[in-house]
Amino acid sequence: MTLYEKIISLYPELATYNFISGVITLENAGKGDYIAKWEHPTLAQPTKEQLEAIE
Amino acid sequence: MALINTTTTGVLGTTVYGDGQGSLAVQKDGVTQGIYGNIPAFSVYLGTLQNVTTNTFTKVLLNIEEFDTNNNYDNATNYRFTPTVAGYYQINGNITLNATLINGNSLAVIYKNGSRYKDGNLQSASSGGALFYSVVSTLVYFNGTTDYVELWGLVNGTGSPSFGVNTGTQSYLNGYLVKAT
Repeated sequence: MTLYEKIISLYPELATYNFISGVITLENAGKGDYIAKWEHPTLAQPTKEQLEAIE
Repeated sequence: MALINTTTTGVLGTTVYGDGQGSLAVQKDGVTQGIYGNIPAFSVYLGTLQNVTTNTFTKVLLNIEEFDTNNNYDNATNYRFTPTVAGYYQINGNITLNATLINGNSLAVIYKNGSRYKDGNLQSASSGGALFYSVVSTLVYFNGTTDYVELWGLVNGTGSPSFGVNTGTQSYLNGYLVKAT
């Protein structure tokens, strides 16, 4: 499961979210996906533990 | 590098001899006005299909050099252009995504020093589609020491996309020095 899929699993309301907007930015520089920026006004950035708990 | 440095107190008609090697820099009062001869230029492309996670900005691992006149592109570790001559460079990039996407978009982006710098055109398709193209072209200032650029791409929608190759025609980055500083 990708990082994006884990985030959608945690926050289903983000399934239609426009990730081009730059409010939430996921990146991959060649060594795996990571959260580069999270400035969503209402949803908290998932913790490492929350993401790891999702299978 | 040979050097011509004119000053307001210089002598008109003076013949200047350089060392005969490298580029020719012309300065006015010690400030570079232009560099002539071996203008730094590079062109690189993706040689291996690269899988992409949707909704995730992904660095394009451009690993094949067509030319790199000043050895400023790293095609093995960080996949970035770090020019050693300060100035303004024209930078052009293109990504092609092989995918059958539903409600998909593709976006090419120039990253400067690790951050999103300039976006290209956004190509969209409401249903299906085999190839998604996006072009980005911009002028970038580099300090000649630490500044660098990379080509990144984003694809969203539903599907399993990858950056295309097709012998260097689909995902590439190139650039050249326009004006040294």
